[in-house]
Amino acid sequence: MKQRFKKHVALILIGLMLLSLIGCSKPASTETTTTTETAVTEAPAASISDAATTADSTPADASEEGSDAQTVYPVTVTDQTGREVTIEKEPESIVSGYYISTSLLLALGLKDKVTGIEAKAGKRPIYKLAAPEFLELPNVGTAKEFDLETCASLSPELVILPMKLKDAAQSLSELDIPVLLVNPESEDQLEQMIELVSTATNTKENADALLSYIDEKKEMLEKDLSGVDAKSVYLAGNSSLLSTAGPAMYQSGLIELAGGKNAASEITDTYWAEISYEQLLAWDPSYIILASDAEYTPEDVLNDENLKECTAVKNGNVYAIPGDIEALDSPVPGGILASIWLAGILHPDQVSADMYTEEKAAFYETFYGIK
Amino acid sequence: MKLSTESSNKIKFALIVGTVFLTVLTIFSFFVGRYPLTLSGIISGDSRQWQVFVTLRASRGIVGCIGGFVLGVAGFVFQTVFRNPLASPDIIGVSSGASAGAAFGILFLSGSMAVTASAFAGALGSVVLALMLASLTAGQDGRGIVLAGIAVHSLAQTALIFLKLLADPEKQLASIEYWIMGSLNGISLYSIKGNVILCILCVSALFLLYRQIMMLSLHDDEGRMLGVHTQHLRLLILLIATLATSGIISMTGLISFISLLAPHGARLIIKNNRLSTMFLSGIIGGCLLTLGDILARSVASTELPVSIFTSLVGAPFLIYLCVRRNRES
Repeated sequence: MKQRFKKHVALILIGLMLLSLIGCSKPASTETTTTTETAVTEAPAASISDAATTADSTPADASEEGSDAQTVYPVTVTDQTGREVTIEKEPESIVSGYYISTSLLLALGLKDKVTGIEAKAGKRPIYKLAAPEFLELPNVGTAKEFDLETCASLSPELVILPMKLKDAAQSLSELDIPVLLVNPESEDQLEQMIELVSTATNTKENADALLSYIDEKKEMLEKDLSGVDAKSVYLAGNSSLLSTAGPAMYQSGLIELAGGKNAASEITDTYWAEISYEQLLAWDPSYIILASDAEYTPEDVLNDENLKECTAVKNGNVYAIPGDIEALDSPVPGGILASIWLAGILHPDQVSADMYTEEKAAFYETFYGIK
Repeated sequence: MKLSTESSNKIKFALIVGTVFLTVLTIFSFFVGRYPLTLSGIISGDSRQWQVFVTLRASRGIVGCIGGFVLGVAGFVFQTVFRNPLASPDIIGVSSGASAGAAFGILFLSGSMAVTASAFAGALGSVVLALMLASLTAGQDGRGIVLAGIAVHSLAQTALIFLKLLADPEKQLASIEYWIMGSLNGISLYSIKGNVILCILCVSALFLLYRQIMMLSLHDDEGRMLGVHTQHLRLLILLIATLATSGIISMTGLISFISLLAPHGARLIIKNNRLSTMFLSGIIGGCLLTLGDILARSVASTELPVSIFTSLVGAPFLIYLCVRRNRES
């Protein structure tokens, strides 16, 4: 009887100890979260280039130095939310939970190291074309429903996630899995992301080629289009004709680079904003451009009774941004091709429509091996 | 006797003021919007201005006015029939059914008309299901309907969650969320005719059935003594009221608060439950939705969900009426 009592007491004590352990670990984790968040607010656009400048002044940390150097491990990088991430050795297995970073991994020639990607890979033609084996890889869910366990079970040496998945990144970091959070929401941030990922994966050579391609095309467009009249362009989003991108968004830069003027320039939202038919008619754009993955077609817009007085519709200037390889209106490495395509439509005298076809073929062959 | 003439004068006054206010508000709404319309431009027959005015601006204003009226009247009918001040078409699953239907339309059909039709089918489907379940349980005093409504509501919510899970987060999920938030944006002459006619027919029917609605507000036994088949009558009236509600919310998405608030507002003003209260509920509903929509389209540089403003305008109004009534008594 006495022994039984002792047993029970022991069990209760063990239970209490376990509980107190949980109690201890909880505050610790919240503490880390807060530090991360402070880092975010302090360094909103913490970038590799910042890190690189520091590296220049301290040559001992050669790992983060300029372009031609190889990455020396262990390397500490600052991701796009300002978190400092240390990677011990060159990652041999990488998981990407975001189609944009997955596309970047392909462009950097890392397809053999990718062991897991985001869900719904089947609907992205680029995987079928450049890396059919990706369709067989385990999926780690979407930004909406991230699958932490599958991701952890792959024991990746590096995980790349969109900024939305901050919490998942925190949990993975607690499992000692290094996570880079990326946030390519502007042309600059896209280039930052390319530098960040290439430093972490020791692929700077490829990144340099990619970045100089982008710069070269940008300069070419700027030169060819200098002095032209900017045409007013309305960009209709994936979810509906009446959702559009304000000047704060990546897509607005795409239009400007192509010699266009974003019709929605007065919008202050940083995400797709809802507008009305009236607003669209009041802006009266000369061109309406549909996002690549839109489920409605240019014909739908041309046949929309509410828009028959709109200049773009009257002149039949409604087009969809190409998405036959990947959604070019999103900040993917090949995003510059969308500007070349749009320039060919807005200013056919300065930029020929064939240029897009040629550039697209060359770009995807060079960086993705698609013939 | 003198008192009753006084109060009947007061009621007349309230109804006239309300109607005039709603008319003025609706006409005012014709002149608020993104497109620079001018009265002279419309009158002189500028084709583009005329087009915008007729197909977009006026249609939207009229849907705001009629839609609010319908929601207010439907709310009155529900509260009266269920003898419950918290009843609204939502309790028998109209809104969740419509949401699930709209989500289905966004995922699997194409075009805004298809989404409207699908939302309408969803709303009607869940109401018919709820009423069928209720008639099986043969509950007293409409309690069976409430329980069946709760069951159907949860079923529709589950379907909605499942559909949201299937949806692509960047396009369809955003559309579903926007739909649920409710807005009069996107309404145009080409898309509203059927729904508006249906709503007018249903609301007229409700006014014609006014006596029966009042009988249902009595205890079932009393109703039966008056020779009314309460069960069937209740089902019929609820069906008409939800048909009207579905006609509106299938076009606009969910609009919160109006069906709940408008009848209370009307009762606080008229202090009675009768035909004039039913009419005033509609008027208050119409004013709330029109005012809410005017704000939704003009406050920010983008379109905002109308429910924010119906609640924002409606809640203080209701509080004001309650406080005033307290002081009077």
